[in-house]
Amino acid sequence: MEHSWIFISILIFLAILLLFCLIRAIKGPTIADRVVAVNMMGTMVMVIIAMLAVYMGEGYLLDICLIYAMISFLAVVVLTKVYSGVYLEKLAKEKRRHQKVMEAEIKQEEEFQAKEVLAKKTGTEEGGERL
Amino acid sequence: MILMEWLQFVLGVAFLLAGVGVFAVQVFGVFKFDYVLNRMHAAAMGDTLGIGISLAGLIILSGWNFASLKMALIIVFLWNASPVSSHLTARLEAVTNPHLERCCEMEEGVTEHIWDEDQKEIIYADKTRRRNDGCI
Repeated sequence: MEHSWIFISILIFLAILLLFCLIRAIKGPTIADRVVAVNMMGTMVMVIIAMLAVYMGEGYLLDICLIYAMISFLAVVVLTKVYSGVYLEKLAKEKRRHQKVMEAEIKQEEEFQAKEVLAKKTGTEEGGERL
Repeated sequence: MILMEWLQFVLGVAFLLAGVGVFAVQVFGVFKFDYVLNRMHAAAMGDTLGIGISLAGLIILSGWNFASLKMALIIVFLWNASPVSSHLTARLEAVTNPHLERCCEMEEGVTEHIWDEDQKEIIYADKTRRRNDGCI
């Protein structure tokens, strides 16, 4: 192909954009940010594969591109399901721990009150004896 | 005939460059916005428009053969897959963000839940969140 420099420069530009996507995926404060960035990277890689297929004249690369699209979609589905499940597990654990702490506090309070009442009783009785 | 070939080449490269431009706008938008649900708006642009225009340019460049049919199939697949993945990502954000009501309005809560085997109860993402707000 006589105008191959166009393809090469577009590929280099896409590679630079891909690098920025990677930076976003590393920086992203929440987990959803990272999933969005990974999805973006998948789309750009698809364009790169399709461009290579046309540039090299190899039709079978487009099959790889199609499979890449499906796997990228599947990755997003699986990642979102896994991370929401992990978050809910964490929530349940947190709640269980919170409940346990509350129960322990209530128990301690009751014991303390019972001891106090007992002490008052015995104190008055002892005081009476002393008097 | 030479004119047709020239036209095909120029049109294909123009479409390809437009698609790459959409990708550049997408990356710029993703870095410009501060919150995920805003960023998703920019990111979904490349999923449909960017890859659609780029692959249309490649279809024009490669001519009318079996390869262009496969590229059209990829475009159609992404039209279907991109909204679904955006929906799932937004749902993930709604589940995992403990202070969602500060970031956006919600008409109803999230229905994601889990069956807690020890306590024998269902744990909802948003109700549990509201109960012990701030400790997670």
